[in-house]
Amino acid sequence: MAKMTVLNDKCKGCGLCVTACPKKLIVLRKDIRTPKGYCPAECSDVSSCTGCALCYTMCPDCAIIVER
Amino acid sequence: MSNERMLMKGNEALAEAAVRAGCKCYFGYPITPQTEIAAYMSKRMPRCGGVFLQAESEIAAINMVYGAAATGVRAMTSSSSPGISLKSEGISYAAGCDLPCVIVNVQRGGPGLGGIQPAQSDYYLATKAGGHGDFSVIVYAPSSVQEMADFAVKAFDMADKYRMPVMILSDGLLGQMMEPVVFPEIKNNEPEKDWACTGHNNQRRHNVVNSLYLKPEELEQSNIERFKKYDTIKQELPEAETYLTEDAEIIVTGYGAAARIARSAVNAARAEGIKAGLIRPITLWPFPEKAYADTVDTAKAYLCTELSMGQMIDDVRLATSCRRPVRFFGRTGGVIPTPAEILAQIKLIKEELK
Repeated sequence: MAKMTVLNDKCKGCGLCVTACPKKLIVLRKDIRTPKGYCPAECSDVSSCTGCALCYTMCPDCAIIVER
Repeated sequence: MSNERMLMKGNEALAEAAVRAGCKCYFGYPITPQTEIAAYMSKRMPRCGGVFLQAESEIAAINMVYGAAATGVRAMTSSSSPGISLKSEGISYAAGCDLPCVIVNVQRGGPGLGGIQPAQSDYYLATKAGGHGDFSVIVYAPSSVQEMADFAVKAFDMADKYRMPVMILSDGLLGQMMEPVVFPEIKNNEPEKDWACTGHNNQRRHNVVNSLYLKPEELEQSNIERFKKYDTIKQELPEAETYLTEDAEIIVTGYGAAARIARSAVNAARAEGIKAGLIRPITLWPFPEKAYADTVDTAKAYLCTELSMGQMIDDVRLATSCRRPVRFFGRTGGVIPTPAEILAQIKLIKEELK
């Protein structure tokens, strides 16, 4: 069981992780804003996450933590 | 996200809330007592991917906001009274182009260079004459540091919702004082901006942002449509806080910092058995006429308190249809009235009513 967490105080909503996810699980939350004023990324389906950590590798702001 | 209480200056709280609301462009020019907004933005903006730019003048700053807003980003500028006079041309242009932007006025004493102490002498400028031409801007009047933060978010939301400039009319007292403030998680209410000039890639018709109409009929039509929008706003937006007005004989009214002092005076009057109440307009344009109309049958007199020579008193008279006497008490030029002074005025009116 893998768990992907986005640190909202670092995420700038660039969406690179959205494109990196091979299972297309990551979405940008358009309804809230981070303390920096961006719409943050979020894993839409935690149970399907394989923990491959491609999003973690791709993130330019070290805003993603993957635990497995 | 943290909901911890922080002790902040009003100016800084407003700037932080603007960043959290998604403000990506801040253009300003220093002037006491609002410089902390620019100082805070210069520190914060580069760390969250935004732009802070100190313009060469107030006029340049508002026109940078005008340009940034035309591309659809959330843009803000701030100044104090003399600077807002300079910005008024740009505000008129932004209103003429229906551009959403936020202008903060941390008022100080006037006219002319005036002084650097708090005043509320820009009420007319904000609500009646924000520049040339037929237009109005939505005006919010915060009364605490928490409201400085909350209204910054609200101002951006309303600017985008109605596509027009919004002004936050604060004053030096609120800008400089420190109070606890909480930043709750912010909902993203930014709509899609299909009118923004962001480059069309030959995929759609190009958008034009312009306030020049050489054909009088077209200009008239654009004004008529804009005033239809103003009519909706007048229905939806007016907001006021009422305090002990149900049984009040004497209703004290004031906005922003003056309302804080008036509230203490109302409490003191109640302690002495005088039935006093308070109406605090939160939106100054559109003016919350209903809050006054609701009390005009039960109240016997109104006392308008401002940090000016008397400007909002006109709107209070109109909102009460001149059915009750409206007295005025204000100090100006940066002098802050004390609750005791306002209480003395309440007692004077009480004597007259006998």
